[in-house]
Amino acid sequence: MPLLRPFLAVVLTLLAASSVAAQDRPRVVAVNYPLQYFAERLVGDAAEVIFPVPADVDPSFWRPSIADISTIQSADLILLNGAGFATWVDRVSLPRANVLNTTAAIEDQFIRTESITHSHGDGDEHSHEGLASYTWLDPMLAIAQAEAVAAAITARGIAPDDAVATRLDALRADLTELDRQATGAFDGMQDIAMIATHPRYQYLAQRYGLSISSLEWEAGAMPTDAERAELAALVAQTGAQVLIWEAAPPAEAFGVASDMGLANIVFPTLAHGVDGRDYMQAVVEALTAVSDAKLQ
Amino acid sequence: MIRAIALASICAVAPMGAAAHQLTVFAATDCEMVTVEAKFSNGNPVMLADVRVLDGNNTLLMTLPINEDGTVAIPLDSVDHSGGLVIEVDTGSHDNYWIVTPDDIARSCQS
Repeated sequence: MPLLRPFLAVVLTLLAASSVAAQDRPRVVAVNYPLQYFAERLVGDAAEVIFPVPADVDPSFWRPSIADISTIQSADLILLNGAGFATWVDRVSLPRANVLNTTAAIEDQFIRTESITHSHGDGDEHSHEGLASYTWLDPMLAIAQAEAVAAAITARGIAPDDAVATRLDALRADLTELDRQATGAFDGMQDIAMIATHPRYQYLAQRYGLSISSLEWEAGAMPTDAERAELAALVAQTGAQVLIWEAAPPAEAFGVASDMGLANIVFPTLAHGVDGRDYMQAVVEALTAVSDAKLQ
Repeated sequence: MIRAIALASICAVAPMGAAAHQLTVFAATDCEMVTVEAKFSNGNPVMLADVRVLDGNNTLLMTLPINEDGTVAIPLDSVDHSGGLVIEVDTGSHDNYWIVTPDDIARSCQS
């Protein structure tokens, strides 16, 4: 018993020290899962990386609470995707010195999306041009974003320069390997019309020369009768042979597409992570599904 | 007031991309007042809209009509702003919001 007290004191001291260290770590906030993944790989244990969007909310259209914004404002580094991703970033004040737009250097590669034409009150009809936002689906653009994140981490002293450089080399190699695998998986599919359940695959299509038309279906949901009719019409119009699902729908939904002669591929966009898989594993799994669909 | 608005503008991050915001809402605080501005993306001020002020628990505190120049001023002493404020502008066909955190208000009182 006399020995127990000093032992407990040492344990409590160590626990307290580790708790303080955890609280003292710099905090990095990311607006989507890819940036969270890149940042986590680059900082190691040197910082806490936070992706604050709840799992059941689309990060593109998340509306944060005041408390969320207070947390984000106090972060040491705020990683934005740019390209119009995450509408909330234009609706709050963020500390400019701590904000990084990870696509600032690749804006010349942005894909402009079709316009929406409408009018305001008595005003003339006009249109708004949008940008495709899911830049990381092109692994080369993902590498550029990872490089921007690494530079920001280094510039702010969040993690040691040499460690970040080493980790960036490894991340760059992994993304390059993903690109190689994707090139193989999509080989021969350039002449096959495809349909996606959501307009999210523009950069993927551009990188691998794919032809992808889009629907506006809710991710992972069973299509309604109207949506099935819409799909049938688009199949007739495009001659599509593949349907790309953003998230796995109920099993019966695959049957609906199969009955129209479509091969089903689940290819998560990774704006959110996939349960039980990291970024690389999720993309490899999707590419395997592409290769399997090609064999059918 | 102008200095406070300018300062808030400097602190705010410029919009990324020319994306699909049909209505732009901006709010700046100068410690005494929250000044709200609402514009359509063609630059025209919003002349007819409801401005809703909500607290940190998303409870509606007040609703005001916007002025013809697309602005409205909300005195801070007229609302409980301790948990921050959410400013929503709703034209009927378009809506958007701006979030003012307690830190935003505290910083404006230091400048």
